[in-house]
Amino acid sequence: MTKFIFDLDGTITSKETLPLISNHFRLNEEIESLTKETVEGNIPFIESFIRRVYILGQLPVDEIDNLLETVELHPKVVDFISQNSDNCVIATGNLECWISKLVKKIGCKCYHSEGIIKDNKVEKLTKILKKENIVSFYKNAGEKVVFIGDGNNDMEAMRIADVAIASGLTHKPAKSVLSVSDYLVYSEEALCRLLNQLL
Amino acid sequence: MSSAKSVIISCAGIGSRLGLAQTKALLNIEGKSLIAWQLELFKDIEDIRIVVGFQAKAVIKEVLKYRKDAIFVYNHNYFETKTGASFYLGAKDANEYVIEYDGDLLVHPDDIKKCLVEEEYIAYSEKTSDEAVFVRTDEQGNVLSFSKKDGDYEWTGPACIKKSKLKYSTGNVFNQLEEHLPMKGIKIRAQDIDTYEDYQRAIDFVRGWK
Ligand SMILES: [Mg+2]
Repeated sequence: MTKFIFDLDGTITSKETLPLISNHFRLNEEIESLTKETVEGNIPFIESFIRRVYILGQLPVDEIDNLLETVELHPKVVDFISQNSDNCVIATGNLECWISKLVKKIGCKCYHSEGIIKDNKVEKLTKILKKENIVSFYKNAGEKVVFIGDGNNDMEAMRIADVAIASGLTHKPAKSVLSVSDYLVYSEEALCRLLNQLL
Repeated sequence: MSSAKSVIISCAGIGSRLGLAQTKALLNIEGKSLIAWQLELFKDIEDIRIVVGFQAKAVIKEVLKYRKDAIFVYNHNYFETKTGASFYLGAKDANEYVIEYDGDLLVHPDDIKKCLVEEEYIAYSEKTSDEAVFVRTDEQGNVLSFSKKDGDYEWTGPACIKKSKLKYSTGNVFNQLEEHLPMKGIKIRAQDIDTYEDYQRAIDFVRGWK
């Protein structure tokens, strides 16, 4: 069977979620530039992620979860996922507690980062998802793995996937991603056509 | 819903014989890039796949002006490989029939329709170059063999073959087709651009379309 592993931010959603959170709570531009630098690969993902969670973790978890449920999505990509939900999984560095409602809405299995919640705040980060581990897991299970992503933190996963699709749906994919990609698409039509061909 | 064919345009190469050190896709022909002329020929085809390598970024940017829905296929080893590898990479996940189209080729718009079919064939034209690959045909125009020495017509492409028959090749597209001969032939008016003289001929060729 073919397993499609999707990055969440920018690939399924048509906006990055962390800047959305900081906008909603009127935080300064720090987060936005941090996200941009990370996506472009100028700051190591883990370093940036820890810094972002430290800042955003102080905000009410339930409010973020509700907010992200409303984030704009790529409708054709979501259609593909719901029509092939057994073949599709999401691999995101995002925290489980922030995206639980969004993931439910998309309707497939999701691997994510994790933290300890206390008093409706993120008290401690306990796990940062390494997407390449998810690719290895399904490859070892004998699946043909297709990975669809756009950011620097997708690169290792895409390098070892059987098929790597760079998505330019929301922003230009990171340079590192392009160097390991088999395909590059800039529209939902192209992406979904390709996904159906790979099914 | 979807069509059973894909068009694979190979734009990965360096185009070294032209001596411009620039991808041929961006050659200016009567105010438009070569790739723009090609995309115009394929405007009714849903599944367009562009194989990119050398100067990929510039080629992608140009294609997106015309076809946001193109699928770009990377041939990262473009320096070490030939057109056969690009065709294979472009075709391996495509639709049932794959139409191979070399990124340095212009086909007359009245003739391209014959080529956009779901049926196997090899297209050739009257001989124009000295350094080319030629085809030998039977009386019905079927292609019997390829030769670098001589033949009845010049091999230009495009060609269409079932994806399931295609294998990876370190050689050229005609090497991939060779083992499936004889194949139906289609005679077309076409100009490929290998040398600077060809480039001048291509400009004249396009002027003749209007
Ligand atoms: Mg992303």
